[in-house]
Parts: sequence; C-alpha cells; structure tokens
Amino acid sequence: MKEQHHQSEFDVIIIGGGATGAGTARDCAMRGMRVLLVERHDFAAGATGRNHGLLHSGARYAVTDHESAAECIKENMILRRIARHCVEENDGLFITLPEDDLSYQSTFVDACLKAGINAEVIDPALAKRMEPSVNPSIIGAVKVPDGSVDPFRLTLANVIDAKAHGAKVLVYHQVVALIKEQGRVIGVTVVDQKTKEKTNYYAPLTISAGGIWGHGIAEMAGVKVDMYPAKGSLLIFGHRVNNVVLNRCRKPANADILVPGDTICLIGTTSSHVGFDEVDDLRVTPDEVDLLLREGEKLAPSLATTRILRAYAGVRPLVAADNDPTGRNISRGIVLLDHEERDGVPGFATITGGKLMTYRLMAEWAADLACRKLGIDKSCTTMTDPLPGSREGNEAPTGKSFVMEGGRKSAYVRHGELASRIAAENEYDNSLVCECEDVSVGEVKYALENLDVNNMVDLRRRTRVGMGTCQGELCACRAAGLLGEAHNCTKKAEADLTSFLNERWKGVYPVAWGSALRENEYTKWVYDGVCGLK
Amino acid sequence: MKFDTVIIGGGLSGLTCGVRLQKQGKRCVIVSAGQSALHFSSGSFDLLNRLADGTEVVSPVEQVSGVDKAHPYVKLGDKFAFYAAEAQKLMADCGVQLQGSADKNHYHFTPMGTMKPSWLTISDFDCYDNVAPFKGKKVILLNISGFLDFNTKFIADALETAGASCMIKSINLPELNKLRVSPTEMRSTNIAKVIDKEEVFNKLVSVIIGFSDGFDVVALPAVFGLASDRLVKALKGMVNIKLMPTMPPSVPGIRVQQQLRREFERLGGCYMLGDTVEKAEIENGKVKKVYTTNHGNIGITADAYVLTTGSFFSNGLVAHSHDIIEPVFGADVDFSEDRADWFDANFFGKQNYLTFGVATDEKFRVKKNGKSLENLYAAGSVLSGFNPIYEGCGAGVAMLTSLFVADNL
Repeated sequence: MKEQHHQSEFDVIIIGGGATGAGTARDCAMRGMRVLLVERHDFAAGATGRNHGLLHSGARYAVTDHESAAECIKENMILRRIARHCVEENDGLFITLPEDDLSYQSTFVDACLKAGINAEVIDPALAKRMEPSVNPSIIGAVKVPDGSVDPFRLTLANVIDAKAHGAKVLVYHQVVALIKEQGRVIGVTVVDQKTKEKTNYYAPLTISAGGIWGHGIAEMAGVKVDMYPAKGSLLIFGHRVNNVVLNRCRKPANADILVPGDTICLIGTTSSHVGFDEVDDLRVTPDEVDLLLREGEKLAPSLATTRILRAYAGVRPLVAADNDPTGRNISRGIVLLDHEERDGVPGFATITGGKLMTYRLMAEWAADLACRKLGIDKSCTTMTDPLPGSREGNEAPTGKSFVMEGGRKSAYVRHGELASRIAAENEYDNSLVCECEDVSVGEVKYALENLDVNNMVDLRRRTRVGMGTCQGELCACRAAGLLGEAHNCTKKAEADLTSFLNERWKGVYPVAWGSALRENEYTKWVYDGVCGLK
Repeated sequence: MKFDTVIIGGGLSGLTCGVRLQKQGKRCVIVSAGQSALHFSSGSFDLLNRLADGTEVVSPVEQVSGVDKAHPYVKLGDKFAFYAAEAQKLMADCGVQLQGSADKNHYHFTPMGTMKPSWLTISDFDCYDNVAPFKGKKVILLNISGFLDFNTKFIADALETAGASCMIKSINLPELNKLRVSPTEMRSTNIAKVIDKEEVFNKLVSVIIGFSDGFDVVALPAVFGLASDRLVKALKGMVNIKLMPTMPPSVPGIRVQQQLRREFERLGGCYMLGDTVEKAEIENGKVKKVYTTNHGNIGITADAYVLTTGSFFSNGLVAHSHDIIEPVFGADVDFSEDRADWFDANFFGKQNYLTFGVATDEKFRVKKNGKSLENLYAAGSVLSGFNPIYEGCGAGVAMLTSLFVADNL
C-alpha cells in the first residue's frame, strides 16, 4: 500500500462524484481548501444522472414540503444564472384532468405563492396553445417556472471548476476504509479500480456525499445513517413531444411529470422501496413500463405512438422515516450530519437528502461546515460565480459555412465557451462520430484529453455519443476506435465496446418492441453477426 | 397487373427466388422496399456455423442433421447439400464470384480484425483454413483519413494477437475533400463512388504502392467497386493487397444485391423498387390479389405469392408490446406470449425473439388461423424456427428455402 507522507496534503476529502460531491469540491476549493474528490465509478453515475433532469420550480413540493419548495425556487433562479449552458428555460404546467379534483388547484397555488413560486392559473385553452401536445381534455392549468437541466453537464462543470481551483480528482477509485485514529477520522483508504492499488490519503475532514451509498460509507466510520432506498423508474422517448414541462396538479404520485430535454423527453417516475443489495444493478420491470406509459399518455396522448428509446432507474437518497412504504412522504430536505456532534466521531460529516436542484445549497452547507471545522473565514460565492461553460462567450460564434458549423453549434450547446478548446482545424477533427447527436472527432478527443474519460459510458456522459435515436448503433464502434487510440490499448476498448452495448441494451430491452426492437435487431446483426463480438 | 408469381421482398431471399423462377420461364414481379440485409453483410454468407445446443459446426453438410426439428432446413429433407450447391451456382450465374463449400466452413476476417467461420465468401476477400493467417507477416494497414468505419486500431490489435506485426498509415486524397465538407458523408459507399473514377483510382494505387515496400501484406478497407468488381480485380493483381470488410454499409454486399437484381431483370423479371405491399385479398384459403403503396387500387394478381419480407428490421415482422404480427397477410406467427422470454439480459446472448417468424407447413406454405394458404409461400428470415445469428445460418436459410420454394410452387 502507498502511504502519503505529508499528512496534511489535503484539507478535505469528499467522497462521491455526483452533483453534490462535485459541487462541494468546487465550493471548498473556491474557498481556498486543498480538496481531494474520490468517485468509485464516473461523475454523475448514480442518482445524479438517473432522474428527470427537471429544473424544479419547487411547485411539486409546495403543498407537502414547504421547506424543499422554497429551497427549489431559490436554487432554480441561481442555476439559471450560474449554469446557463446546462439549463433550458422551458416553463412548466400543472394540469388538472377530468379525473382529478379541481379544488386542489387553489390549495396548490396558495402553497406555491407562500414558497415564493410564481404560480399563475391560466385558461386551459391558453395552456393548449402554450403546449399543443398536452391532453386536450384538461380542465385546469397552472403555469410555473419549471425548466430542464442536464445533470451530466452540470456535474462536469463543477468538476472542471474544482480542478481549476486546485482540487485533485480521482475517478474509478473506491474508498474501502476510513482511517481512524483515537476515534477521529483522519483519512481514507482508496483502491484504484483499474490497477487494484491501495493508497491512503489524509485530511482533517472527510465529507461523505455518496447519496444512497452514504449509508455504507458511514458504516465504515462506525456511524449509522439510516437511508431509505426508493427506486424511481423513467422512460425516455425518441423525440421531444413537449416543449413545456408537464405535471399533474395533484399530490405527487407515479408517472406524473413529462420533461423535455435536448432532443428527447422523459416520463417518470415510479417509486418503490428496494433493498441495498439492488441499488447497484437496478432493473425496470414490465409493470413499471406499463404504468409509466399508461399515466404518461394522460399528460400527452401522443406518447402512445412515440418511440420509446429506453428505460432506466435511479435511487433517491432519502433519509429514512417510519411507516412510509413508498418513500413519497419523506422530505426532500437537505440533511447535513456533523458526526462529531451527532455521534462523537470527529473529522467526518455526511451531506445527503436534498435533490439535484439543491445540490449547490447542499454544497454550500457542507463547505460552511468545513470552514467552521478548519477555522477558515471565507464566505460562499457559488450563488453568483458562473460555472465554466456559462461564462462569457458561451454561445457559438456565427460561422461562415453552415454545414461545417453544424457540429460546432452542438458542441457550444454542450460545453459553452469551453467548446473553443475543441480542435476543428482539419477534416479529421470535423469527421462525425455520432450523427444522431452531432459529435465530432474533435469533441471526442477534447473529452478524452480533458474530461477524465475512462470508458465509453463516461464518454457518453460527456458528449452524448450514443444517446440519440440509434442508441449507439454505429457511433459505438467509431468512438471505441478513438478511445482505443487515445489509451493506446484496444483490448480494453473492445471490452469497453461490449460493455457499452450491454449497458445500452439493459435500458432498451424492457421497452423493446416496435422500432426499438427493429433497431436492436440491426445492432445485434452488426456487432454480433458481422463483427463477431462476444 | 398479372404475373405468374409475386415475390414480396427484394433481399437475398426474394432475389434468389426470382432468379430461379425466371430461369424456369415464370414471369415474376419483386416488390421491394429497398432495404436488404446484404447492405450490411460483411461479404460472407453463412450456411450453418453452430447448432442450437452450442456445438460448433465444421461441416454443414455432415452436421445439418443436428438442427432442431423446427428449423427450416428440416423441411429441405435430403436436398440440403443439393440446394447449397445450387445456391452457389446461381450466384456464379449472376456474376458473383464466391469461394467456399458446404462440406467445410472456412474462416474470414470481420471488420474488427477477428475471424469468423462461414460458408461462402465473396472474392474481394480471402478465405482461410485457420484463425491466424498473417502469423509472422509484416502487415501495413492503410486507411482513408477521416473514414471512421474502418477501425485500423482494432484490426491491428487483433492481427498482432494472432502473431502478425502491423503498421497503420492513413491516406489523404484531395478528391475526397468534397465529402468531408459534410462530415456525415465520409461513409464507405460515398468513398467508393469517388474512387470508382479511373484517375482517382490510379492516383490511389500509386500511393498504395508507395507504402507497400517492405510489407508482406497491404490491408485496405473494402471501399472499391460499388458497381462492378473490375477495380477489385485490378487491385488484387498488383501488390499483395488484402481487402478487409468495413462497418456497414458494405460496398461488396451492395454490389451483390445489384448483380442479383440485374440478372433477375435480364431474365425478364420486374423489380418494383421503393414499393411496399400493403394488403392482400384472401378468398377460400387462396391469395387473390395484393395491393401496393405506389399502385393504389390497381392490384397485382398471380398464381403464387412468395413472402420474403425478412424479419423485424425490414418490417417483415412487427412487434407490439404484447404481440408479434406479420403485417401483409396477418399470417400466424410463432412467438412466445410472455415478453420476458423474448430477450436475454445479455446483449450478446441468444435473444429468442430472433427465432420468431411466420408459421408454415412442410412445403413452406404460410399458415393463417391454423390452416395453410394454398398459394402463399414464405422463405428466408421471415420464417420461424431458427436463430440466424446464434446458429450462423441467415444467408443459408434465405437462399436454400427460396430455391426450395421456387422448385415446389
């Protein structure tokens, strides 16, 4: 095992590379701390990347959870400023169907206004003009400032900025032990997933931002954090049916939000309790698919004839409460646990609960705690400092040649002003890897060189390679080739290609009929039949 | 419109059937939507590579008796070897030069540089009796700069694993810059169209020869000869050039499709490209007429009808969430009612859905509501009872069942 000799190389170690961990790393680094961020898989691989991508206005929680609702709307407005390149300002509608109780609408609007959410009752006819895909039989509609947010882009922007402020970032490194000395956590033992090498890192404070896995991380410190794993399943449709977020105006229930994002739209979610043994390999069941479709069609009837791209599921990091089999009634509020105060274990804290929407506030709370513990007197600036990608010059320069600029425009949408670093000098850099999502060789190379890409699934999260209609049918092989070249190791790239195809298939087979099955038969022919991959 | 036979589907199966029938003096029409599995083939045709129980097949002729009883080959009886030879002859008559035999499978390269067994391989490529043909050889892999569907790095790695030493170089032809203006255009077929021009080809050849010095093998992507194999022959005569298959679309595959179609038309067949049969009139257990998209209410009548529409990809079969249908005739489809049985959680697993298809009697007559329709036959991958990918028998089933149907109408 490698020991780190400088006991004080880091001020704070953050476990977990989701939005919360990345945000905490950024905030701490911006306040001058020496930060180590450790993630066992890839950024946004857990709950961060497995939700609606909804820029909540907070309206959904207004009636049941005032505190979360108020936090949401504040963060919503902040993200519109600091993370422009991750956000689509689409607006949202809360619709009442004939089967719903219309009297709920006024309770809902009152609660929204109380939480500071600008909810406006509008005429159903106007709602139908705003969003032509909405169920035409609606009897009520309320407009709220919902939007869409790309969680991969958001997390990555935080990582990029944390690194720019000196943070060290380790992906595919798993924390296997917390090092304790006289009851205090003084560091972590980390295993490099690729080399299996173990290293100890030390810092006076370790913060767990591991989402549902925070339960296990706390156990390593001998502390009990009672998490409640609630699985949520979603379906992605092959194109953008709606441009405005559609919600049901009723108490939160299954499959009542339809969110547009980039080229697609998403319906979700279900909610069911799962065991900790399932959280690493979630599968969407046929019953969940049927339920999502049945309820989704009530929001936008055209979903019935829209191709489903894939199904996926995430686990909400809820902190357990008694007597709630679904987890729907647990607060989405932020939970910051100072284990020194709570459990008598100094040097260790947990930041959990909350939502993707409130990741920045969670990070602020965690960084505030770190400042107190380490005696640093510096206040948070993340509510005003734009993230990289949302700074000046984040829109594509208007180009000369329309065709050549096509891919560049998509790159600016994805990377903001950082897209100017993407090579586009020669024909090769401009060759297209992924037609569906307009990803060039230059963009793939940029991601491979700068964005901690270890495999094709990572590359997908950075660039959207393989996220489009064909689900990686042809781009998978092209991207694998570039990855092989970059890492100068094709054996790994080939293994990577097979696991990428399997990962895509995992999301496709629960919904594999119609076009999805056709497309898959083709993919199967190409990679298994023609290429002979195993 | 009146024909002797209407063939629905213009892929390998439909064309084989059409050519055979035209040779017998029947007047046929092929209604083709335009897509064919040949477009994404690697240039090899599989007859039988593996049995359903996993046994590897060395000799299709000797081991065909091991297929499951639902397999279409069972219906060929003792004619399996005969029709395999007939299929090869038919291809040769169409000008498609193939190497291989049904007595023993050979190996050929995949676009990944690995090797797979097969029955027949188009003469653009070489066939081998072992999986390390370049062992101990110095290989140079030449690719066209910016062409991402020929993965030199993968191929080099696979060849080196099999004992060769490899170098990779890319070629930059200014004539291809026009394609690069729109990045989606850098695909095999478009490159082949540019290279097909004599002066571009000659220029390319001199570049290739410049690189070839000191190497035992010069490997190139198969982007030559979309319309004819003239350039392929010219190339292979020069230095020790080996063409390697690319990712789809397949230039040699498309050429084969065109050669078959030209022969069918030369024999007097009518090929309706870009048309789809939408519905059929069935009376007293017989198909009376079919209607196509382009011909509206002008129906096509014939003595016999052959369904060669392929499987899901070509819409020969259509899957709904709880049902699988054959859209033209509403034929009976053999499939499992429990959707959980359709799929394997592993993408590379068997995938049962591939065995689903229309139910037929012993003469490949299509069944509807449990009864055979008197004059409707099916052939190729629309049939049930086999797994073309797992068993490696897609092209064989397409050609052999089509020949059998043509001979037994």
